[in-house]
Amino acid sequence: MATLFVLQGRDKGKRFDLRGPAQTLGRESGIPLQVSDSEVSRRHAEIHKDDQGYVLVDLGSSNGTFVNAEQITERRLTNGDRLQIGRTLFLFTDADERSDAPSVKAVDIVGAADVEASRIVKSASQDDGSRLFSASDHADSPWLAAARNNLQLMYRTALAVSHTLDIDQLLARILDMIFDWVEADRGCIMLVDHETDALTPAASRIRKGINADQRLTISRTILDYVTERQEGVLTSNAGDDERWRSESVISQGVREAICVPMQGRYGIVGAIYIDTYTPAGKVLPTRPVNKFTEEHLKLMVAIGHQAALAVEDTSYYSAMLQAERLATMGQTIATLSHHIKNILQGIRGGSYLIEEGLKDNDNDVVRRGWRIVEKNQERISHLVMDMLTFSKDREPELVASNLNETIGDVVELMKTRAAEAQVEIAWQPRGDLPQFHFDPDLLHRAILNVVTNAIDACEKRDAARVDIAVDWSADHRFVQIVVADNGAGIDPDDIQRIFSVFESKKGSRGTGLGLPVSQKIMREHGGDIRVESTPGAGSRFYLELPAQAGATGVSPVPTEADNVAPPNNAPTCHSE
Amino acid sequence: MSAPSVLIVDASAENREVLRTVLGRRGLTVFEAEAAEQGLELAREHHPDVIVLDVEEKQHAHSAAGQQFADEADASGCQLIVLGKIRRGPVFTGGHVISKPYHFAPLIHTIEQLAAKAA
Repeated sequence: MATLFVLQGRDKGKRFDLRGPAQTLGRESGIPLQVSDSEVSRRHAEIHKDDQGYVLVDLGSSNGTFVNAEQITERRLTNGDRLQIGRTLFLFTDADERSDAPSVKAVDIVGAADVEASRIVKSASQDDGSRLFSASDHADSPWLAAARNNLQLMYRTALAVSHTLDIDQLLARILDMIFDWVEADRGCIMLVDHETDALTPAASRIRKGINADQRLTISRTILDYVTERQEGVLTSNAGDDERWRSESVISQGVREAICVPMQGRYGIVGAIYIDTYTPAGKVLPTRPVNKFTEEHLKLMVAIGHQAALAVEDTSYYSAMLQAERLATMGQTIATLSHHIKNILQGIRGGSYLIEEGLKDNDNDVVRRGWRIVEKNQERISHLVMDMLTFSKDREPELVASNLNETIGDVVELMKTRAAEAQVEIAWQPRGDLPQFHFDPDLLHRAILNVVTNAIDACEKRDAARVDIAVDWSADHRFVQIVVADNGAGIDPDDIQRIFSVFESKKGSRGTGLGLPVSQKIMREHGGDIRVESTPGAGSRFYLELPAQAGATGVSPVPTEADNVAPPNNAPTCHSE
Repeated sequence: MSAPSVLIVDASAENREVLRTVLGRRGLTVFEAEAAEQGLELAREHHPDVIVLDVEEKQHAHSAAGQQFADEADASGCQLIVLGKIRRGPVFTGGHVISKPYHFAPLIHTIEQLAAKAA
């Protein structure tokens, strides 16, 4: 299966399997190849599958589509191509679908039998592989043709294995190459298990037409010989050897086999085994024609070495990804611990005030303490809800809902907070809004986070004000909730980072989860969130929601106007 | 004789409110600042008996402000209590360090003791 593997960008380490005839690549929620990259258009590019492979087509994106650093409008993709959209870099890999049935279940490694070693008729060391293309005394055309073929095969091997970072794809590709080149019936790649140091089957292939139910049996003696001596072996036809007839290998119908080590930079990483096979019930020819030659053995040794290097690379890459994941996890835990610690400190402070007030029957102190406790309960509740929302992909439960009501709930909830911060919230519900399909709980959270940020941004500024409005007309595909503040604004250098997790400019008050969560929710709805900001003048956030068909009726406007202003005794301006 | 005084430098309004309320009820004069720079100005102006400095990670920990508070405490002979982590060394050699999250009762007890000693 073809895949796109993210090498750089916020989705680094993510793999997209390319299924189906056409898939869209972009940041729009719900599309098969969705990336978290603000420089990527909603529907940036499309990948079509046809008889010859995959074609990438740019869909008129704002920032262009690049293949191997070259801007394209349409390009047929080949293995190892690097696709760049926005800041996201992908590696394209395509393992051809094979009708041959790969299975690791049908492989057994049988016990040692000294007699099997006697069937090794030729061995080749690692150096033999490198001498494959050395000059020959027989400089005639057949030799040259064979050498050219070998060279071509090695070139194809090097090319194929260098273009994937997925171990399963890599092994499948190596077996494909071998089966294209030599008439093997069955093949298996075994990798060294790092915990047990034992060779473990990792991929296998059986030529089409061979009974796939028959288990592939590999002589442990041969494997031990190959790994201990670090040499490849070729075993001949055993049909004329009486001793061989009693062995498990021949009883399984194996006629000839090649087994080579996968010699990596620092040791053996595995072994490649191929054989020819006569299924049970078929009579072995009296004098069968050998399909495996010494030349095959040498080339297999070279392929084994090449494959080993690639296996090592994929292992290192996986380890690197894992290390990055662990580092991210550590950073996440540290950041969350810090927030929880601050909340805990707040609860302790509030509780202490309550205790002090109770001692002296001072209700005012008790009330103040209780308010601090309540505030911190809210903080931990928001933190937990944001963590839950951020941590899992969730399909919004779309129901026909009243947008006026959802925004009104947020405004009501933030009334006290805004008054404390001496910020005026202005919100006038629209009477002409139809019902839209959205998840009211999730959208509530998305709007709440943006409004909270807006209040924090303009707290303690003169005439601090947050305006909330809905921008919609019947011919628009999207409805926009606009949250504008006259706060400090966002520095252009920071604007790209505000939707990144744990990026907060609010010190101990900010968790760095609010805006990423809002963005995630809007994208899960098939919408998005964007921001315009002028440092010193304020910011304007647009929460875009698809105005989904099926909207019915006009939303009732709440009976009480939700224009919320600070209490009379609290001025809207705060002088320091 | 004037009441002992304490300066609280803490970004958290809630923590300041708790300390201000409780210490005020116990007869101490309380100055408070949200940011280090503002706190230094108050320290130089009022010479409090005790400075309580909350060290927000990544902020004043090893910054010039931390150094200035330490210097100010040395110069004016006031007691410095640091809330949070701070590395003892060239920047901060003396004073009291209380890890976060802390309990308010022992902190307030320490502040009262130091203030009484200074007064």
